[in-house]
Amino acid sequence: MKEKHIQISGIILAMLYAAFITWLYWAEPKDLLEVSTKAQTTIENVTTKTQVAIGTYEIDKAKFEDGLMYFYKENYVAARDNFEKADPERRDARTQFYIAYSFYRQGWGRISNDDALFKQGLEQTNRLITLDKNFKSDDVNLQIKTPVELKSEFEQGLQITADDFNPLKVLRERK
Amino acid sequence: MSKVQSPKSKVEEDISSELSIVDGELLEVSDGEGLITERKNRLSIENKGQKTNNKEQISNRQSTILNYLFLPFIFLTVALLGGLRLGSQTSDFLFLKPPLVCLIFAAILLILFFRAGLIRFEGWFSENFSTLKNVANTTILLALFAASTQVFNALLPESGLPFWVITFCFFWTLWNNLFAEFETKKLLKSLGGLFGLAFVVKYLLLANLTAPANENWWQGIFQNPTKEAFTYLLDLPRFSPSTGYIQFFTLAFYLVGLFLLPPVLTKEKR
Repeated sequence: MKEKHIQISGIILAMLYAAFITWLYWAEPKDLLEVSTKAQTTIENVTTKTQVAIGTYEIDKAKFEDGLMYFYKENYVAARDNFEKADPERRDARTQFYIAYSFYRQGWGRISNDDALFKQGLEQTNRLITLDKNFKSDDVNLQIKTPVELKSEFEQGLQITADDFNPLKVLRERK
Repeated sequence: MSKVQSPKSKVEEDISSELSIVDGELLEVSDGEGLITERKNRLSIENKGQKTNNKEQISNRQSTILNYLFLPFIFLTVALLGGLRLGSQTSDFLFLKPPLVCLIFAAILLILFFRAGLIRFEGWFSENFSTLKNVANTTILLALFAASTQVFNALLPESGLPFWVITFCFFWTLWNNLFAEFETKKLLKSLGGLFGLAFVVKYLLLANLTAPANENWWQGIFQNPTKEAFTYLLDLPRFSPSTGYIQFFTLAFYLVGLFLLPPVLTKEKR
């Protein structure tokens, strides 16, 4: 083995080792088992970011379908979890719309709405508007089709008006 | 009477006139044994030369492997272990990032290494070296810097009054050393002493003042009132005793690495 080869391998090995150490201090795994789990997560993140960078990013369709199934079963927490896993980079307007809608449906109440969920829903909708303002859902099961309508629902739900004390309000239906 | 020349003698005269004169020296014909011993001597000299060349090549290769593979490995291992602590109850890994002051101390330490001749700049970097060699040498130095940073990270207490006291002591010592005349051996001895003392203070003295974590607050106060008081007053972190063992080997690796560090990397052909 020539001196040059030793030097090159020394540089490469040192860089790899240094990268591993930097990653360990960044990821802070608690035990050896977590080292492999966190390494896998990091690799997935890097892969997703690379896909975004080179323009080949796609959502995980299986996870999206699972999310949709939970959404129709009215298990909104599980639905959101699956939607978030399907679109970790929050770049797909359709998935983000369902996440916002799940906040609306979960937070909606016949007498009063859940303000915390509505606030999260409003934030999510604002993010969706930034992503794609003209998005329109083609899901026939949803009465609200656009982010602007959804935003209006959230804002009205968060405001306290004289209309909130109208007893006929209990007769309204969830959209 | 005319002389009559015979045809045979005429031919001889012609041949002798055509032959050129050859200068030469007469050598004694040596016997066979003499030639053999001479050849043997020559061969043995050549073999010796080859052996010394081989030995030089092997030692050069070994020193190259030591410098470019082993030294970065040992220093980076120190960098890995220097910030590692084990949690007191579940022995979880805790990777503590070095505070800024550790980077400053490491920089001062590198200046000290250059001043004391532990590393000679002209023997590590030169325009005459190839770019690859300069880059490889830089890699070793960066690994040394990372290791130095993490050694300070390992030896400084994590928080509270002890952190400030020991940081001040380190700063005082390094600052004084910066203006002192040092030899390499003296510097290494001084560093060994300094780091050894800091290790004893942190991992023996302060660790023994820290109350164990697997007790509730009331139990701690009744069973170990002094330790609880010291832990509270000095803001001592509770780590597993294994942390001390890890840091002992970290420090040992670092000192071994410094001992193996060559002042000059110019043995090879430029």
